[in-house]
Amino acid sequence: MRLLFLQQVVNYIITSSGLDIGTLNNKIIRFSLEDLPLDVDFVCKNNRVFVLSDAGTPADVDIKLKSTAFLSIFNGEDITELLRKDKIVIKGDVKTAQLLVDLLNKADIDLEEELSKYTGDIVANGVGKMTNKLKAISSDQSSAMAAIKGSLLKLFVAPSKSKRYKNQHI
Amino acid sequence: MDKTTHFGFKDVATDDKQKLVRGVFDSVSNKYDLMNDVLSFGAHRLWKSYTTKSSNVKAGDTVLDIAGGTGDLAIEFKKITGKNGQVVLSDINSSMLEEGRKNLINNGIFGVDFVQSNAELLPFKSDSFDCVSIAFGLRNVTNKDLALKEMFRVLKPGGSLLILEFSKTDSELLKKLYDFYSFNVMPKLGELIADDEDSYRYLAESIRKHPDQEKLKDMVLDAGFSFCEYHNLSGGIVALHKCIK
Repeated sequence: MRLLFLQQVVNYIITSSGLDIGTLNNKIIRFSLEDLPLDVDFVCKNNRVFVLSDAGTPADVDIKLKSTAFLSIFNGEDITELLRKDKIVIKGDVKTAQLLVDLLNKADIDLEEELSKYTGDIVANGVGKMTNKLKAISSDQSSAMAAIKGSLLKLFVAPSKSKRYKNQHI
Repeated sequence: MDKTTHFGFKDVATDDKQKLVRGVFDSVSNKYDLMNDVLSFGAHRLWKSYTTKSSNVKAGDTVLDIAGGTGDLAIEFKKITGKNGQVVLSDINSSMLEEGRKNLINNGIFGVDFVQSNAELLPFKSDSFDCVSIAFGLRNVTNKDLALKEMFRVLKPGGSLLILEFSKTDSELLKKLYDFYSFNVMPKLGELIADDEDSYRYLAESIRKHPDQEKLKDMVLDAGFSFCEYHNLSGGIVALHKCIK
């Protein structure tokens, strides 16, 4: 269900923003949270994103996020500080990363409003606040890799948080 | 091709299987939905809902539902694809297609195309569908490898195939309960409700002869798909294979 939820949210954002992700076709982005059971592949095909637990082939871009960083983000810690401390690690094809930046910069939706359809207002409000913060940070960043960290966090971290932690009083 | 194949637990001539399967579905078509609800305690609706939600189909897409029978998936796909999309409901059996046509009308769904065709020889152009689905149909196909290759052929690059099918559970307790239910209760219910014990005995037997999750995944990848991942539903009694071309 977690993968289904992620897939629906990511594709909803793509559709709502009118993004053409054709330039990312056939690319695989692996996203993992260390110490927590979130380790997924985002496979870009046919102008949409399929979320798989393991695509079985090496990813073009690999994003790793420490669980402490994941929690810190939701507690409002400065994302740039987490990047500086290497609590978020991105490896892979720079060209693919730049394509992602170009596309994600075009995405402009109210994630809080969209998520509330799936998670309820309280969770969505928390996620929305965090993503707005991330968005502001990534718009100030000159480095493509730094911008992609912020943008992908906006897309991929927030939805899982809403389901997994909403009742755990973190 | 092998000269014999299985029809439930029986070995039959390969050329005869299609006719025998057709006989099963001709016999049960008018009670098919009712029997599905009774035998699965309504769970088949949840399994199918999970399938359409997993499909990644969007407005304007082209979708082919193979062995679509009474149209449960086609109805949901048509709601998603909208008037600019195209949904084709295909089945080898005309009596099932007729039930599907009635079901869609009863649900107020129009604009779905009906095509009577064999999954092993699909009458569609290559690279023409965004999504192909087959729910509880693959185990009835005589040459599954050939059918998977055909599904691969008609999918656009990056298109997805969804296979919803009975599979194997890892739980010994669940397996024992399921075996008892399948071989003792299901045929009796078939006799009571659809006046057809044999067809529902075939159903139970055909499930046991169907490839398990890993084997089916290998078959999908052998057919040319780039990715295949399965999700067990109801403890593995049913599995959804999500495959991407």
